[in-house]
Amino acid sequence: MARYAMVIDLQKCVGCQACTVACNSEWEVPVGYARTHVHYAGPAGVIPHLVAGPYVAQCNHCSHPTCVRACPTGATYQTDQGSVVVNRDLCIGCGFCVEACPYGARFLDPVRNKVDKCDFCAARVEKGLQPACVITCTAHAKFFGDLEDASSSVSQMVYEKGARRNETPAVHIGPNVYYLGRKANVDLALASFAPRPPRLAAPGRFWRDAVKPLVLAAIGATFLGQAIAFFNQLVKGEGQFDD
Amino acid sequence: MSSKWTRRDWIRRSTVAGTAATVAAAEAATSPGRPGWQGASRVEQIATNCEMCFWRCGVLAEVREGKVVKLQGNPEHPLTEGRLCARGNAGTQLLYDPDRLKRPMLRTGARGEGKFREITWDQALDFLADRMTLLKQKYGPESLAFFPHGVASGFFSTLMKAFGTPNSAEPAFSQCRGPREVGYALTFGRGLGSPEPVDLEESKLIVLIGSHIGENVFTSQVTSFSTALERGARLIVVDPRFSVAAAKADWWLPIRPGTDIALLLAWMNVLIAENQYDRDYIAQYAQGMPELAAHVREFTPEWAEGITEIPAARIRETALAMADAKPAVALHPGRHATWYGDDTQRSRAMALVTALLGAWGRKGGIFLPTAIHAGAPKLPPFPTPARERADGAGTRYPLASEEQGLTLGLIDATLSGKPYPIKGWIVYGQNVLESIPLQARTRKAIDQLDLMVVVDVLPVDQVNYADLVLPEATYLERYDAPAIVASAKKPFVAIRQPVVDPLYDTRPGWWIAKQLAGRLGLGDYFPYDTPEQHLATLVKPLGVTTGFLRAHGAAAFEGRPYLDQRTPADGPLFPTASGKIELHSAMLQQLGFDALPRYTPPADPPLGYFRLLYGRAPVHSFARSENNAWLDALMPENQVWINSEAARDLHLEDGRRIVLENQDGARSLPVAVRITPGIRRDCVYMVHGFGHRSRALHLAYHKGTSDTQLMTRIDIDPIMGGTGMRVNFVRVLDPEREA
Repeated sequence: MARYAMVIDLQKCVGCQACTVACNSEWEVPVGYARTHVHYAGPAGVIPHLVAGPYVAQCNHCSHPTCVRACPTGATYQTDQGSVVVNRDLCIGCGFCVEACPYGARFLDPVRNKVDKCDFCAARVEKGLQPACVITCTAHAKFFGDLEDASSSVSQMVYEKGARRNETPAVHIGPNVYYLGRKANVDLALASFAPRPPRLAAPGRFWRDAVKPLVLAAIGATFLGQAIAFFNQLVKGEGQFDD
Repeated sequence: MSSKWTRRDWIRRSTVAGTAATVAAAEAATSPGRPGWQGASRVEQIATNCEMCFWRCGVLAEVREGKVVKLQGNPEHPLTEGRLCARGNAGTQLLYDPDRLKRPMLRTGARGEGKFREITWDQALDFLADRMTLLKQKYGPESLAFFPHGVASGFFSTLMKAFGTPNSAEPAFSQCRGPREVGYALTFGRGLGSPEPVDLEESKLIVLIGSHIGENVFTSQVTSFSTALERGARLIVVDPRFSVAAAKADWWLPIRPGTDIALLLAWMNVLIAENQYDRDYIAQYAQGMPELAAHVREFTPEWAEGITEIPAARIRETALAMADAKPAVALHPGRHATWYGDDTQRSRAMALVTALLGAWGRKGGIFLPTAIHAGAPKLPPFPTPARERADGAGTRYPLASEEQGLTLGLIDATLSGKPYPIKGWIVYGQNVLESIPLQARTRKAIDQLDLMVVVDVLPVDQVNYADLVLPEATYLERYDAPAIVASAKKPFVAIRQPVVDPLYDTRPGWWIAKQLAGRLGLGDYFPYDTPEQHLATLVKPLGVTTGFLRAHGAAAFEGRPYLDQRTPADGPLFPTASGKIELHSAMLQQLGFDALPRYTPPADPPLGYFRLLYGRAPVHSFARSENNAWLDALMPENQVWINSEAARDLHLEDGRRIVLENQDGARSLPVAVRITPGIRRDCVYMVHGFGHRSRALHLAYHKGTSDTQLMTRIDIDPIMGGTGMRVNFVRVLDPEREA
């Protein structure tokens, strides 16, 4: 089993947003939306004792994702490699997962009317390529790999250099994006863009136990209805649609 | 004569009529892209180089059924190795910008009104050739001035020289790098060129003086910078603003604007007084050390503290940190260097610190270019202009580059008719209204012209003033002369080739220049029918085939970047008059200037005013990219940085829209305030390039404000004619409160 993760070295990152645009270009993200954002924290303090720096935000592919629980159709799920991905065919665009994500990493794509977010460039990684943001990063500040492979750069950065997750005592759902850098800068960046408590439209268990089966049943019923209509049409012939 | 060259024509021609057998063979062997199949569509990846700015990073364009679907970095490019910045990634949004200039246009309304009628290329070129001939007959060929920018302008430059005018000027010199090139050339015998050869990745200590790497993004420079940080290089940032780089620094020195020379003199004072400079290097390579030592003796850190507002202890500490790291100290020479009018002397002072640290030509300092010898088309000799340049380059401003000229000098000559009339302008890829201060004078000069021509891609404001508008193909649709870059550790040649056919009725610059030349009887200056032939002539002596370049994008050669690697073929180590590093400049002395740099205090802002500082953002290039849909989405407008305490005194709230008014009453467009502790309270800062006034730019129109518009005062560098622009002061008007 693999555990995909990313490490972002905030001391190297200059906040140039090459990652944002490369990602938008790769995945045809509508203008004004993004799967990965670059924010800037600070400056905080008083001249000349200031702290500031960039922060890169994206889906954290959490080990215990609140979005998966919130999804009524099972469109959002965790892969064997630990990535959290969205199956567009199953997504109904309800947006519950958008609210459930403490990191604001998800958005409703207004063109496709589906939820979208970073999927660790699953389609690229499958072909043996690195994610689009990683290969374009002008500062070589973004790293992607398997945390369980001790020889990977991400594993070394996390286990040897002490890369940190963006977690708070209130929200600790096992994010798999890690941040390196000077302590003061990382502290400020993580404090400035700390996760908010997930907003679950109703208790997660309620979704899982009651609503999700109902919705799935409804979808099933819809398919059944379609099938009935289809066979009806077959039986009646197409003549009546020809006008 | 074919009216339109396309990429397909080029590919066909090149295989049918390759200039040499070897080239033709290479064509056959190597296809120009890396074609493949993706689903049902054929996908090609075509290598070229970027022009979203002038760094020319390697690009691979993914083309599916004639459409560029994605741009990404070309991993085979020797300098940028597959990395591409936000702008480079967004290049498709320039190509497919619906606001692009689409067809040649002739002005029908008043200048500035923006009323045109569309004409054909034949009509446009006939019109222009007639007007140029008329100017030549009436006022002489020198009456035509040329305002180019970028590598593509070489073809037009050839045309201008053939036509007989010496009057060509670009902001790259007098509004940007000029003082730096002159200051370093006076000291070491050579300037830096672009990309500047700063050995960031090998340095142990990086010193940035006003350079805002990270906000100013040149892909490979950011890579080198961050690599150095990862390897543990320390960083000194001298900047009145807490820049992105400053936030990574070990020492941030928030200097009082305009006092950099005082700091540099004090650093030299410490290095020499404490015997911490590279004595062997200076003894071996430099002359003028006794004069320099005597000169800086009085400029102690304590003296500088009163001027720069940097504590003497910090000045001493940073000087000693440099001494510790020498010679691997990368004191970045900067890029946009036209600040206060004494900029050549500031650049000299930076060069002297570099010399004292033994960092020129040494690992981790400034490395040396390695020339590669490209071919050149065989041209008839250019006519010798009957009159000298009208802008004072080489005369009034003795060390101004005569190749790059002085833009303001040409504008002055246009206004005054002296030393002789300038009656026509051809503006190619340059934005004369946004890159040159004193806009009102530029507009007035344009008003007096008999002929104003703009060759551009987008309908920026200056287009509205043109008599004739020629729509150029974008960099993704055209061939340009290849980048031949000596100032890289591995010198290289990189190609720009069309990845798709030109959209609309646009044409590449080389074609426009060649067509005009034909009509003017100057066709012999363009002895090639296809770009392929031109490219082959240039690269043949390098032992690289055009086919290889078209397939891979670039080819690199061995470099000798450090002094201890140089061979006689590289020429003298220090091509100065003395053959040594000239700490004390005999040349400056002869010309009546200070032979050693001296601090001259800049004028302070009047009460209630701030000094106007400006810079760049990583997602925009000058005033060129604001209409790009993807980049507009990331940064639609600029903001004015104002110090928190100053903002409190003015009762400003973060995000409020204000208007800035300068010392002469020039006003900005409304612009949002960014209140921050990250800037000194005696200055404000904004990103250059916003506040577009052309309604034809549907995204960029009236977003943010232009810094250039607030520059009604300049201080000219007497040595080389550079335009010091950080001498304008602004105060805050609050429209909400005054309404």
